[in-house]
Order: sequence, then structure tokens, then C-alpha cells
Amino acid sequence: MPKLSIDGQEYEVAAGRTILQAIDDLGLLMNGVDVPHYCWHPHLSIDGSCRLCQVEVEGIPKLQIACNTPVKDGMVVHTTTDRVKRAREGVMELLLINHPLDCPICDQAGECKLQDYAYDYGVPHARTQEPRRAAKKGVELGPTIMFDQERCILCRRCVRFCREVPETGEIGVFDRGDRSVIETLPGMPLDNPYSMNVADICPVGALTTKDFRFKIRVWFLEDVKGVCTGCANGCNVFLGVANNKVYRYVPRRNDAVNQTWMCDAGRMSYKQIGSEARLKLAFVRGANGLLEPASTSAAISVAAARLRRVIDAKGPGVVAAVASAHATNEDLYTLRRLLEALGTETSGVAVPLGAHDDLLVKAEKVANAAGARALGFGDAQAVVDRVRGGGVDALIVLGHDLLDPGYAGDPSVLSHLDTVIVLDTHRSELERVAHVLLPVRHAAEKAGTLTNHSGRAQRIQPAVEPAWEASADGEILARLGAALGLTGFDGKWDVRSVSRELGALPGFAGADLAGVGDLGRPLSSGSPAGALR
Amino acid sequence: MQKAPYITGHLTEHCGDDSYGTLDGYLQRGGYAAAKKAITEMTPEQVVDTVKASGLQGRGGACFPTGMKWSFMPKNTTKPKYICCNGDESEPGSFKDRLLLERTPHQLIEGLLIGAWAMGAQKTFVYIRGEYAAPATQMERAVEEAYAKGYLGKNVMGTGFAHDIVVARGAGAYIAGEETGLIESLEGKKAQPRKKPPFPAEHGVFGMPTTVNNVESFCHAPHIISRGPQWFRSMGTEKSPGTTLFGVSGHVVRPGLFELPLGTPLDTLIFEHAGGLREGRKVKGVIPGGLSVPILPAGQLDVPMANEALQQRKSALGTGGIMVMDDTTCMVRVGCVISWFYREESCGQCTQCREGTGWLHKLMERIERGAGSMDDLDVLLDVADKMEAKTICALSDAAAWPVQGLLRHFRADFEAHVKHGKCPFPQSFEL
Repeated sequence: MPKLSIDGQEYEVAAGRTILQAIDDLGLLMNGVDVPHYCWHPHLSIDGSCRLCQVEVEGIPKLQIACNTPVKDGMVVHTTTDRVKRAREGVMELLLINHPLDCPICDQAGECKLQDYAYDYGVPHARTQEPRRAAKKGVELGPTIMFDQERCILCRRCVRFCREVPETGEIGVFDRGDRSVIETLPGMPLDNPYSMNVADICPVGALTTKDFRFKIRVWFLEDVKGVCTGCANGCNVFLGVANNKVYRYVPRRNDAVNQTWMCDAGRMSYKQIGSEARLKLAFVRGANGLLEPASTSAAISVAAARLRRVIDAKGPGVVAAVASAHATNEDLYTLRRLLEALGTETSGVAVPLGAHDDLLVKAEKVANAAGARALGFGDAQAVVDRVRGGGVDALIVLGHDLLDPGYAGDPSVLSHLDTVIVLDTHRSELERVAHVLLPVRHAAEKAGTLTNHSGRAQRIQPAVEPAWEASADGEILARLGAALGLTGFDGKWDVRSVSRELGALPGFAGADLAGVGDLGRPLSSGSPAGALR
Repeated sequence: MQKAPYITGHLTEHCGDDSYGTLDGYLQRGGYAAAKKAITEMTPEQVVDTVKASGLQGRGGACFPTGMKWSFMPKNTTKPKYICCNGDESEPGSFKDRLLLERTPHQLIEGLLIGAWAMGAQKTFVYIRGEYAAPATQMERAVEEAYAKGYLGKNVMGTGFAHDIVVARGAGAYIAGEETGLIESLEGKKAQPRKKPPFPAEHGVFGMPTTVNNVESFCHAPHIISRGPQWFRSMGTEKSPGTTLFGVSGHVVRPGLFELPLGTPLDTLIFEHAGGLREGRKVKGVIPGGLSVPILPAGQLDVPMANEALQQRKSALGTGGIMVMDDTTCMVRVGCVISWFYREESCGQCTQCREGTGWLHKLMERIERGAGSMDDLDVLLDVADKMEAKTICALSDAAAWPVQGLLRHFRADFEAHVKHGKCPFPQSFEL
């Protein structure tokens, strides 16, 4: 392993890396060692054109670009010398001579690398009298992205992204010199399942998403670390939150999961959080056959009474449960414990399937199918079959994935049941057959862990608070257990202690809320199912 | 065009004769003997060592030792190795390779065969700038002839050595003359220089080990092989041996090409060979090596035309394209023309070059209009400094150096524009 000295500090770095890559590997880039950069991106090919990352390397007369200079053993690098400072000033000044300086009306302001670096490395005055370059404004590059040519600094990250990640190559650089412009190829709009990532990697306000632009100033947003729940990949995201509202998802770097990318469908899934279709009240089916609003406590009491009646009449074997793979490991662990306390073994998880690709998008359109399986939930088809065969009288349903055409398809399959208890974030056709409906929290509203397709447990935390009474599935189930008088259920449910309990089980060892950290942790081998029984 | 230079040397002594461009004519003058000697009597290492010993410097502008460059080609590789012959000749003021391509194509083919043998290259791409229609036609014809008579192909001159030559045409960009810009263009892409590393010897045309040399550099090779390195060193200077083709243009009576030893004094070239200036005119400034090198003032014409001597005067030999300007010339207008050219030709990748070339040009234009200030002169130098030695290729330097040269020697012209609020040289060429 070559030794590299950076600003007097010695580091050992992996062989075959460039200076900037080595600094990034060490976790020091812009986090202890400041080497500003525009064109370089950890997950794109090296371009070497912005020339901002120049550093001084002892023994080489010219300044070297850190992004493309291979580390050699014994290399001595300086990032803070006057020559480096002056070179950065030069790049910053030259990048700004044609920039429109329209920060007051630019949506990137506040998270703009041109602003940031101009403050940190630029000069505070302009020396140009000449008119700035006029170019196209408000260009629609495709269904998701708007482009402002005047703001573009031609770092070409978007060009490389489209060529290298979705491999669609819609964007190119046209013309040359100071007439160079980014454009989409003729007849080829920017339209691919990952198109919105170009707005994230654009260091300036040239590329913005139609969805987020002009919605809110970014400095009002708090970035809450979370996980996208659109599929089993579990892309790490920042939830942009203000006024108790999620305004956007942007990918959060996790090289083991999603690098720095996420798909457009996942990115837009934040809209489900504030959707009009959220289930905001508990409902209980009255004597007239209609659903009537109720308090959560009352609804839980009704659910417990109905379940107790069924069990007293026919025994626990006729009670079944369909788990949701949207629920957290902690929720599902509580469900597992509830079913065992009840003494029923009929359960399964509904996992709707959809399109997938080789990049990030997984076929399983839920965030926690692997977690559900690890907790011993088989496929929900077995439950559906048993329902159809008449072996079930009472059903506890988490979520509404049971309605997926791959499973029940239609709620009428459940219409003959004595008791259907539904815990859901959103309204669905299950309303037609449910006897008790209980609103639960969305992943953006609660803490817990989710296990992605590769068995990596990842943490979510509450970013917003629902404006109505809603609890995590686990808490509802714990209260239901208490209402049923089951041993081990006192009605209290604290996600941290549940998580610790879960994290003590084989398979989930160390994968509790604290243990998974910001970047998740692979589940160990071994299954908790045995320990649970 | 000229069929031959006004003064000829080993490269050009027969090129006035039309038959020299044909295979028969070339053979009658002893052609291909050097290539045959190299392939049959010398090892590749001996050829490289001979070229190294001759001290031949690349004639494309950077004056890099040719033998050394040849030795960079990897020896133990399973990949095919390529040669690129740079016939893009895009440097304004330079027009020597055009003559060599058009009048001495077999001399070039022979030089390429020697280089191919020395470097173990399977294929050569001769890249000729798009504007050079006639030279490309001549080169293509000569290559066909050489194939037909067994001087190229699977069994070169019956030696068992195989080599192919492909003639490729450029599409018209200055930067296609930069070696990696040329490679990109050759691959069918936009001529944008590649970042280094990797260098072409490792990752060149289509990712294969490649050496890029100028047309004239290859043309010297047969003569060095047949007459020996000592003969080559008997001409020119200690550090810059041999002859080169100087192209003189501008305000001289007899503009054209002159094959002369390196180190020939600039004033000898201008006054003795190029016939001096028109009556009543005096030299104001001379660009000694193509548009990208800093200008020299009238007082420095005694400089020997060799890179080491020109560098002492803060200029360079470049491609030996000498542009002479008389005392009617407005040096701010010269600055406008030069900075416009580099603004037009910058590929646009690197920040300093893309933005800096445009800024330099705008500043020059404003000063020429009479709307400049004294501060602008400092800004010009500061921008040039910020552009120098910081980019992927040397175009940014090529745009910065002339500005530095103009302000070093002709600051008074710039100040006069500022003071008078207009151009004080009404007789100068028009923009």
C-alpha cells in the first residue's frame, strides 16, 4: 500500500488510485482535506477538465489535477499553498465571467457548488465589463428536467452520467470553445428511468427537476437520513423536510447500496407521504354494515373483541395474518410475537412484483421483503389459499399488497370472513371488506430498520409527524396484544427496546437501530425464527 | 504553391522534380534503400539508438527528442502497436508538411517504415488536415503505389516485415493537431485532447500503444539511417541538430519555404533569404515559430533559430513558421487576431482555456476600439498567467504566450490605444 503525504499528514492508501480518489477513500474529501472539484464525481469516469482540483506535488514543476494524478509511494501533496490558492482563484474567476449571477432567482442557491466555492476559493470582485454569454433559458430536456444553459459550467457530469450509468447517452456537448453548450441529441429527449440524478450531480443551477424547482428554498429544508421504500434495493436518501412536509427525496451516498443514485420512480415516491389517499382515521364497521369513524383505542378494542370471539368459538387456528413488507423489522417482529402468543401459524408476507433492471431497481416493490422472510414470514399466497379453502375466519392484514394481482387481486376473496382487521398507511379497496381499519405511520414518520434485497438492515427515522393520530404497526399490534390479554403484551411499544430485543436474536445480531448506523449493516447468517418459537 | 523551397536541403533537394513523387522517381534517387537497410541490417533497438544519436527533435512544435519518444513504445505487449503521422499542420504560419506530403510522399512512407520497424508497429495512420486536399490525394496515390509494388503490406520489400498505412482526413480543427486530439478525431470523435495519463504510448489510437510524430520528423529518418547520425549532427546546433523547413510569411518580399540548418540567425532568414521588407519599411516584430509562440521585437532578430536560443529570448522554435510584421502593424490588432483564433479553436474542455481565450479576445477588442483602460493591460497579463500551464493540452498556453509576448515588447502600442481612445495605427492591416 503506497504511502501518501497530504499537507504534512501521512496516509496509507490503496494502490492504483488517484490523489483525489485516495482522499475520498480516506473519507477526508471536503471533510478535513479540501480539494474543491466540479467535474470529478466518485461514481463517474474521470474527466479532468474543470481544473479546479489542482494541487502541488513535490518534484513535479506544474500543478497537478488531483483527480487524475495516480498516487505513487512516497508522494508529497500540498493542497493549501499559495500557488494552489491562486490556481483555484483563477478557475473560479474564469467560471464566473460568463455566469449570469442570478442566484436570487436560481433554485440551486443554497446548495450550489459555484456559490460555495466562490465564497471559499474565489475572489470577491468581478473584473469583466463585457456582456456575459447569453444562452437558452428554461429548456425542457425531457419529462423530468429543466435546463438553463447560461448557468452551466460545462463540467459534463450529466454527459458522463447518461453515457455511463443508465447508458442512454442523451446528452452531449455541442460546439466548442466558449460557445460550448450542453444539449440533448436531436430527437432524443432526456428520458430514462434515472434521469433526475443529473439534477443532483449538476453542481450549479443548470439542471433542475421539474418536480422540485421553485417549491421551496433549500435552506429551509432539513435533510433527514432515510431509505427509499419504493423497492427492495433500499436506496439511501435524504428526505428534504420543512413545515412538517417532505418536499423531495435526493439520493444519499452509500457505495454498498446505491452509490449516489436513485431511480426516478423511487424519487417520486415521496409523494405518497402527503398523499390525499392517506388513511387518517380509524374506522369500525357498524351494525348497519357501514364503516364508522372511531378513535384508535376504540378500534383496537373492537378488533380485540372480534378476535377473542373467533378464537373462543373455533380456537386460534382460524386466525391468520398477512404481513406487509413495507413495515419495519421491528413492526414485523411484534407481529410475529403476537401470532405466537395467539397460537396461530398461518401467516405470510405479500410481496408485489414489478419491473426491474440491472442497475438499482428491484422486482420486489417493497422495502422489507427480506426482513419479513428473515422473521419467518413465508409467501402470503399460502394464506390466500387457506382463506379460499375456508380455513380462516379472522385475518389481520398489514398494508394492502394483498390486493396485488399476484395475490388476492380483489377484496371479495375476503368478503366471507368473520373478521378482517386492516392496518394501513393508505386507503384501499380493503375498505370494502374490513371490519376494523387502523391508520399507521409511513416509513417517513417512524423509526425502525428495513432489510434490503441483499440482507442489509438500514435505518429509518421520523422525518415528519402525521397530523392525525397514527402509530407504527408494531405499536398498534402491541396494544392489540394487550387488549387480548396475551402474555408478554403490556400495550407499551418502544421501537428502541424492540429493536434491541430483535438485535439480540441470531441473524439480526447487531442490526438494531443503533448498530446499523447511517449506512446500514448486513444481517449475519442464521435465522431468528428458531429462537422465536 | 511552391514546388520546392527557395533553399533546399536533404529533405527537399529533389522535390522540384515532379517524378520524385512517384515510386519510380523516388527509387531512381536511391529511395527505400534506408528502409531496406534498417529492416534487413539493423535491429529495432539499433534504429532507435541511431535516431537518438542523431539528436533529431520532433518538428511538430514541442521539439521533443524523436528517438526518445520511439523508445517509449512498450516492448512486451500483445496489443497491436500503431503510429500516427501528424499531418494536421494547423499552426498558423506553418506550411512545411504540406510540401513534404504533396511533393515527397515516398520519402514520408520510407520514414514511416523505418519508424514502424524501430517501434514494431503494425499500422500507421497518416492524419492529414481536411483543408489539405491535394497533399492527401498525393499521399493516397503514393500509398497505393507502394502497396502495388510491395513496399507496404504483408511482406515489405520481401523482408517478411508487414506494415500497413491508412491515410485519414481531418475535418478542420486546430486542436486536431495536438496528438491526443488527433487520436480522438481519428477515432471519429470530436477532436478534444485526452487527459494524461494515460499517455498515447500506453493507450493511444483505439486504446492501443501509439506514437504520434510530425510529418517532417519521419521524413528525416531515411537520411539519418543512410548517412548516419554524425552527418545529421554536422548541421544545426549542438542541441538542435539537422535542418528544418522554415516558412517565412508576412511583410517580406519573398515569402516561402527555406530548408536551412537549425540555428540559422533569424535576420539572415528574413533579409538574406526572404528578400527583406518592402522599400521604406522596417521590421516591427517577428513571430518566430508559428502563431502560438511569443513575438520578438526588431532588436532581437540576431537570435539563432534553434529552440534553446529562442527560449532564452522567452520565445520558442515551434514549427518554424516565421511571421514578419513591418512598422505599419498595430500590435493590438495582432493581439485581436491571435486571441480570436484561439478563442475560435479552443475545444472547450478546460475551464481556463474555454473561458480565458474568450476573455482575452474581448479585452483585446475593447482595447483596440479605444475603450480599454490601463488596468485592462494588467488584467490581460493576469488572465494569461491563470491560463498558463494548467490545462489538459497546450492550447491554453498557446493562447497565453502571444499575449505575454505582445505586452512584453509592445506595451507602448497598448498604452497608446488607451491614451488616445482609438487605434493610432491607421495604416495597419484591417481586422
